[in-house]
Amino acid sequence: MNAVVGVVFSSAFLAAVMRVATPYLLAAFGGLIAERVGVSNIALEGQMLAAACTGALVAGHQGSVALGAVSGIAVAALLGLLLAALRLHLGADVIIAGIGLNLLASGGTAYAVFALLGDKGGTSGLQSGSLPRLHLWGVERIPVLGEILSGQNIVTYLAFLAAPVVAWLLYRTRFGFHLRAVGEAPDAARSVGIPVRRVQCLGLALSGALAGLAGVFLSMGYVSFFVRDMTAGRGFIALAAVFLGGLRPWGVFLAALAFGAAEALAVQVGTLDIPPQLVSTIPYVLTLGALATYAYRRRRRSNAEPSRA
Amino acid sequence: MTPAQSPGGTPAVAAVAVTKTYANGVRAVRGVDLAVSAGEIRAVVGENGAGKSTLMKLFYGLEQPGSGEIAIGGDTAVLHGPGDAIARGVGMVHQNLMLVPSFTIAQNVVLGVEPGRRGRVDLKAAVEETARLAEESGLQVDPKARVDQVSVGMRQRTEILKALHRGARVLILDEPTAVLTPQETEDLFASVRRLRETGMTVLFISHKLREVREISDRVSVMRAGALVGTVDTAEATDRSLASMMMGREVTLEVVKAQARPSGAVLRVRDLGYRPSDAGVPLDGVGFDVAAGEIVGLAGVEGNGQTELAEILAGLRRPTAGVVRVGGTDLAGAGVAGHRRAGIGYVPEDRLHNGAALDESIADNLVVDRHDRPPLSRRGRLRLAAVRAHAERLVADYAIRTPDTAVPVGALSGGNMQKVVVARELSARPRLLVASQLTRGVDIGSMRFMYERVIAARDDGAAVFLVSADLSELLTLADRLLVIKEGRLVGRFDSTRGLTEKKVGLFMLGVERHDRGHIGSGLDEVTTT
Amino acid sequence: MSVGTLVETEDRREYRATRRRGLAIDVGMAVATIMIALLVGFVVILATGHNPVEAYSAMLTGPLERSTRVGRWLEDATTLTLLGLSVAIPFRARQISLGAESQLYAGALAAGVVAIVVPMPPVVAVIVPVVAAMGAGAATGLVPGVMKARLGANEIVATLMLNAIAVRVFDYLVNGTLREPGSTAVHSASIQHDAALPSLREWFGVPLGRANIGLLLMLLTVVALWLLMTRTTIGYRIRMVGANQDFAEYGGIAVPRVIEWSFVIGGAVAGLAGAHLVLGGYGRLEPGLVGSLAFEGIVVALLARNNPLVVVVAGFFYSYLRVGGDIMEQQTDVGTEIVVVIQAVIVLLVTAQALPDLFKRRLVRTRVTR
Repeated sequence: MNAVVGVVFSSAFLAAVMRVATPYLLAAFGGLIAERVGVSNIALEGQMLAAACTGALVAGHQGSVALGAVSGIAVAALLGLLLAALRLHLGADVIIAGIGLNLLASGGTAYAVFALLGDKGGTSGLQSGSLPRLHLWGVERIPVLGEILSGQNIVTYLAFLAAPVVAWLLYRTRFGFHLRAVGEAPDAARSVGIPVRRVQCLGLALSGALAGLAGVFLSMGYVSFFVRDMTAGRGFIALAAVFLGGLRPWGVFLAALAFGAAEALAVQVGTLDIPPQLVSTIPYVLTLGALATYAYRRRRRSNAEPSRA
Repeated sequence: MTPAQSPGGTPAVAAVAVTKTYANGVRAVRGVDLAVSAGEIRAVVGENGAGKSTLMKLFYGLEQPGSGEIAIGGDTAVLHGPGDAIARGVGMVHQNLMLVPSFTIAQNVVLGVEPGRRGRVDLKAAVEETARLAEESGLQVDPKARVDQVSVGMRQRTEILKALHRGARVLILDEPTAVLTPQETEDLFASVRRLRETGMTVLFISHKLREVREISDRVSVMRAGALVGTVDTAEATDRSLASMMMGREVTLEVVKAQARPSGAVLRVRDLGYRPSDAGVPLDGVGFDVAAGEIVGLAGVEGNGQTELAEILAGLRRPTAGVVRVGGTDLAGAGVAGHRRAGIGYVPEDRLHNGAALDESIADNLVVDRHDRPPLSRRGRLRLAAVRAHAERLVADYAIRTPDTAVPVGALSGGNMQKVVVARELSARPRLLVASQLTRGVDIGSMRFMYERVIAARDDGAAVFLVSADLSELLTLADRLLVIKEGRLVGRFDSTRGLTEKKVGLFMLGVERHDRGHIGSGLDEVTTT
Repeated sequence: MSVGTLVETEDRREYRATRRRGLAIDVGMAVATIMIALLVGFVVILATGHNPVEAYSAMLTGPLERSTRVGRWLEDATTLTLLGLSVAIPFRARQISLGAESQLYAGALAAGVVAIVVPMPPVVAVIVPVVAAMGAGAATGLVPGVMKARLGANEIVATLMLNAIAVRVFDYLVNGTLREPGSTAVHSASIQHDAALPSLREWFGVPLGRANIGLLLMLLTVVALWLLMTRTTIGYRIRMVGANQDFAEYGGIAVPRVIEWSFVIGGAVAGLAGAHLVLGGYGRLEPGLVGSLAFEGIVVALLARNNPLVVVVAGFFYSYLRVGGDIMEQQTDVGTEIVVVIQAVIVLLVTAQALPDLFKRRLVRTRVTR
């Protein structure tokens, strides 16, 4: 037990939490925006994967990490727009369309990597480089805190900045107002002349772009190459964080951070005599419990006054 | 009729020979000429389906006229959508309010035209603007309160402020008082009068004649899509207005023998209901329905009929009182329990819960009895029996279809309703609760439905008929109850010689029976 | 002439003709969808600088060229069809259960543990693990089912969480408690000989790879589920709840119980698929033995519009592409992943409902104007 406590409070662990939580945070904010505009984005996983692959391939071939990152994000945003088009213009079921896009990303990335590099596993043969780490002046010199906060990848800082930015966007800007109004009461939004579909398209593109940034981090920060299906279900976990966080920016932030922390813990205790797989189930078990409790409370509340049987 | 000339020059808003026919062939508005001068409060009254709401939607650009013209501020206006109407200074407060629940009042007021620079929303300015508008108009709101946490009255004031914020010069209020308490109504009227002082033109739609007489300058009466007439409010009485509103062109004559009621099948005593959702509460409802009689329930829609019918069907649970069918106390019983007790229910909206549109006619006909012989045995559905059952009902109820495998959704409204009625009547219920039996149904199916319900009555069923169509109630019902605001306000133990006008006076609250009369002859029923 | 007015006619012959025409259009649509998807794949292969004709001929004829390849096809189709069936049932009740993965793991685990640990006489040694797998799958399905039916919890999130838990628990057990002592690779001990599903080779006398009597079990399941949906009261209730929940409630159907049943039945079938993987395929528990099968099962169910009889067709079609894709990769330089792309395009086309409707309406209109 003491060993675990030691691990948890080590600065290396806390730095690892920030790193591991990065893709969860970004993808979860993407999911949050989609959810708030009224279209569930099940395709987060695929958008991350497509961005990770595109980023590594473009960076490797063009020799520009920045160009790679931008292309990756753009591809993910396009997938968001594709989801919007399928849902809003072609009457597709949003869940099924999301599953379809995930498949497309999974097959498309693996095919592209094999076709371009002749490698089944990923792009490890390609020198694609990674996005820069930032050494924060001043902060770096603070004991403990400096070790945690400084020297992280630039995307990690962006991910932690995303919470206040998304909160600001949703609650302080005109676009955020329209976005929330469209998601919550489309008829009301339409009746005051807000272009509902356009707002939804923009929201989904933004959602995809955030997932894309998460994906780019995976292949150009977390590691420096693309591996087939490297998202490993993170998009779905991010989606769970969206619901667990109660569809609110700071709630989502905490939920995504918790998922990241649990995964980091699982990695760290692997060196100890505790099965890492079981440790990593903790957040999912907690989510399941939270989901049930939340639903139960809500049902109790509506049953307090007798309603429809 | 020539276009109604308003006294004060150019009308603020006008309709000239406007006709609107919906895609399903219903002519909702026919040749209406209406002109409302600036600074006037004009009430528009009429029965359900008289075309008031459609006319208002035409003014607000939600619908486009088939022929004729809409004019705003003297200019002919082609309104492609609400945006066009808003731009011309028309604001509308819908019956179901168009607000974003999690937004504050100020945020709702400015939604779409938010103050602030470079994409940001200046929340403080929004609050100040809302407070200023509220101050000027006398519409009291708390700008910082969330909409889902304030009263319905305040939500409505928010809607009006929304229109004011967009510079509305014409304000359409669609049945604004339906959801308000008397005090809130008073306040609303005070504000509306104040708005008139500033030159606002108000179109006020209502069923409540007392309110119409209190608030309006002139009253326009619509009936069956046409404008019957416009009178100065000062010269109108409740009775004169009611007589203009009521009356239907076609009445369907159905042969009906004298009812021979026997013992009471349905006993309802002191029934109370507090909805948790947006329903209408019921209070102290008590009545009997005997075997072999049809008891009608009249009322302006939204006065608790839906809730009462759904309680009788087991879809809602009452919060007080007793419901008994035969000897069975239905407290705590679910839908299946109600059906076992012998209740059949024709729901008011067949598309919502009366049918599974994608499933076959045969499957739709057995939902209440698929789990027992002869249709199934030990969990096995006997398809031959299901088909035979369907073919029998299709023949018996003249459902026009080539095959019982046809999905119900492919049938016309009348045919679909026949499927619902066939299912409910063929269960030979002791009590049939029928809501809006012939809504959206052709004349032929209507007559058929009437005959079937009368036949069921003569076979000894108790029938409780809820309808928004007074002529239907007067044609079918042997006795009639009137409901208003969740309470019974009228009871007629014979419908002989009863006129729509007379019932209309009760529905509109002009007259009411005392409690002793409504409750007379009801025996004591105690909970077991 | 709209469908509505046609149905109003009481002429049965005309109605049947209309229906046949409608069916023909549906089949035509399905074929067109597959064609478009194959065309997309064709273009992609061409665009990446490979020879699509060569690749497609390998993919489309390869699986039938040798009996072992046919065997691979049959084995794969068995698992996929079972998984398709397992999601088709909750989908029919309009429950978006994405939990086939967790149920599959639970089934595989139960079948594996029983078949490895418990000594049993022949025949029983097959039956008991299969039943255990179905029970485990059903129990795993029941969890999100109850959460949805009784509490109203979102079934998508619940099933996704269970998937995440199941894969980790499985991984833990295979790496730990169940790991075969002394082996270098991570896997469990082999199942007892009598517990293996008998190979089809023994029946047909030709080498059919790992194809086994699981195929027959699967076909039995198809028929059983088809009967369940069309000829039993529980199937009727599942259909009504899925078609219109308010209508089911109005008719006196206990909606929550029906929802639970749909999850339990689906879970049992997914458990069976798990048993087939372990007892018929791998013969032991291995990490990653499920792969992406569960989501592909969802695709199969969607393609078949949740009709059990069509699920078989879709399952066989899709696993044909999968096996063909592998052969294509061996014989040409085109990756098997193109099959997933083709599959994704099919899913997107199928769910874009407005597309065929637009097309259909145009068809009807041209017929009328003619």
